[in-house]
Amino acid sequence: MVEFTLWDILRNLLLAARWTVALSLIAFVAGGALGLLLVLARTLPAGAVGRWAGRCVALHVEVFQGTPLLMQLFLAYFGLALLGLEVSAWLAAALALTLHASAFLAEIWRGCIEAVPRGQWDAAASLALTRSEQLRRVIAPQALRIAIAPTVGFLVQVIKGTALASVIGFIELAKAGTMITNATFRPFAVYACVAAIYFAMCYPVSAFSRRLERRLNGAR
Amino acid sequence: MNRRTLAKLGFVLAALMPLAGHAQTALEDVLARKQIVIAIPTDFPPYGFVGTDLKPQGLDIDMAHLIGARLGVAVELLPVTSANRIAYLQTRKAQLVISTLGKNAEREKVIDFTAAYSPFFQAVFAARSLPVKAFSDLAGKTVGVTRGAMEDIELARVAPPSVDIRRFEDNNVTVAAFVAGQVQAIATGASVAATVMQRNPQLNAEYKLLLKDSPNFIGVAKGEDRLRVRVNEIIAAARAAGELDRLSQRWLGRPAGDLPQ
Amino acid sequence: MVSLDFAAVLEQWPLLVQGIGATIWLVALAATLGGFLGIACAWARTWGPKPLAWLAAGYVESIRNTPFIVQLFVIFFGLPSAGVRLSPEWASALAMVINLGAYAGEIVRAGVEATPRGQVEAGLSLALTPGQVFRRVVVPPALARVWPAMVSQIVIVMLGSAVCGQISARELSYFANLIQSRNFRAFEAYLVATAGYLVLAIALRRLLLWVGPRFLFGTVWRG
Repeated sequence: MVEFTLWDILRNLLLAARWTVALSLIAFVAGGALGLLLVLARTLPAGAVGRWAGRCVALHVEVFQGTPLLMQLFLAYFGLALLGLEVSAWLAAALALTLHASAFLAEIWRGCIEAVPRGQWDAAASLALTRSEQLRRVIAPQALRIAIAPTVGFLVQVIKGTALASVIGFIELAKAGTMITNATFRPFAVYACVAAIYFAMCYPVSAFSRRLERRLNGAR
Repeated sequence: MNRRTLAKLGFVLAALMPLAGHAQTALEDVLARKQIVIAIPTDFPPYGFVGTDLKPQGLDIDMAHLIGARLGVAVELLPVTSANRIAYLQTRKAQLVISTLGKNAEREKVIDFTAAYSPFFQAVFAARSLPVKAFSDLAGKTVGVTRGAMEDIELARVAPPSVDIRRFEDNNVTVAAFVAGQVQAIATGASVAATVMQRNPQLNAEYKLLLKDSPNFIGVAKGEDRLRVRVNEIIAAARAAGELDRLSQRWLGRPAGDLPQ
Repeated sequence: MVSLDFAAVLEQWPLLVQGIGATIWLVALAATLGGFLGIACAWARTWGPKPLAWLAAGYVESIRNTPFIVQLFVIFFGLPSAGVRLSPEWASALAMVINLGAYAGEIVRAGVEATPRGQVEAGLSLALTPGQVFRRVVVPPALARVWPAMVSQIVIVMLGSAVCGQISARELSYFANLIQSRNFRAFEAYLVATAGYLVLAIALRRLLLWVGPRFLFGTVWRG
């Protein structure tokens, strides 16, 4: 049997943490792009198309916010394969986390757009701006300011969410923790290290998000 | 969410279904791609576990490489757990499962098996101080087991109903639960238990009851007969050449013995 | 040809029902105790003595910045080395209470900090003790203000409880896993469980939004 020193444990966990970072960034960026599309679909003017788009987005948000990420991961991994699509643990985890993040980001951003006073739309409309100009020139800049802090804050949720990718065999920080536990039989030391590494990744992001929020509130 | 949207979801799923289905061409695919994906354990020493570099090693991994070498293709190892091994074959994520897989009637309904390649027996282990002489003595005790593993199914069959069987996702977690004292006894492979007991003398654990002698087979997806026949040829040749015995000797410290075809 | 067979999963309905019951039990416990823990935390951070405020801040930050599954593993596998041995179900409940308590602490604190100064002074001038003022004057309207956020967080914790099956707590996802390891119908089992969670999430949200204003902080403070 192999002997693990504390340094071996930490070194392997840090190596595995690279995948946590990579998966988080992919899910955050792709989820953000998809979330943006969803939000735009929701701001379409009320008409047949707009109503349908709104309903679809609402359904997407309801399903992905209303079911456990763990189940979404299982379904992405084993479900897509049943449909004849070959997906690796990588792709399934990235896909599930992207869809998950898109639903939450779309909700966050919708809230930000709605936080811009109704009068701003009316004022912009009275300046004869088109609907898309109103959104782009008047509403979006204000909504963006409100959105930055909660969006950065949500990145923390994404990073923590990647821990669940371990259950479909994706080797990231949490999975490496379980594997090393088995080789060392020192669960407490290993999981304490795992928790500390997550904290080291997440805390700066949360602190940054809070600072942004304070600065925004101060400026108002 | 209302009934209509649920119905819509169902419709979308139904519409996608014809995409499913596979031709039985695993062997040809493997040879054409010059690569085979083999599911292996990383939570089951000495069959499959990780070293300080987190690279899998063990009897099952050596077996996977042996088969890859005989087929003349590269091997991609895919770590799996006991609970989801079968799903990897059903969904064609792996062409072979070499992961301490025992044969039983339920599993034979959904996948096919090659000849056996290594010995394996499962047993119940617990602290010396815990009086267990027969399965009936397990009544009222907590026993940890890996979900979906042979020992899980076997234990559920032979243990009295009052046994509190605690099922965990993979063998790593099952072992961790036993070492942490979260379960009083553990049902697992004898070789795994030997390692655990050697590493944790403070547990003062010992062998209690034999659950099942169930050699390991290689799993192939249902109906992939050409691949199964080819792997059987490789196993037969390896057995004749004494390679199976050498593998067994290296990892388990004893020869493979008499294995069912 | 792969075909879906939901019957093979649904015939195990007693297991699924048992799992749903356990999930409800877990979330009820977590919401109640976690809610109180959150209020205590909010008190410590706003009205409490400095050392207590730091302690609460440390607790809140360490929980909010680590994944729930890791917290669960530390409690289940780590605490035994400190001599505390909990069954998987109680370990799960404890992890959920601790997790929700941290988030609820932040949510309630936001509500408490928005309390107008005058209300506190009015309460103190009525000869109420600071403790009474916090409990009777500050908390109810603060809860009313943040109730939607609180409900969302409770739903998130409920969905997070799916992870508890990993330490063999017998909740909904545990039985979904058990069923799929028996009949090898992984996709169907997970889909049924997922639908169960969706229904639970929607029902829980409706229930809490209904219960809150009526029983927890009075109708006076609505809106």
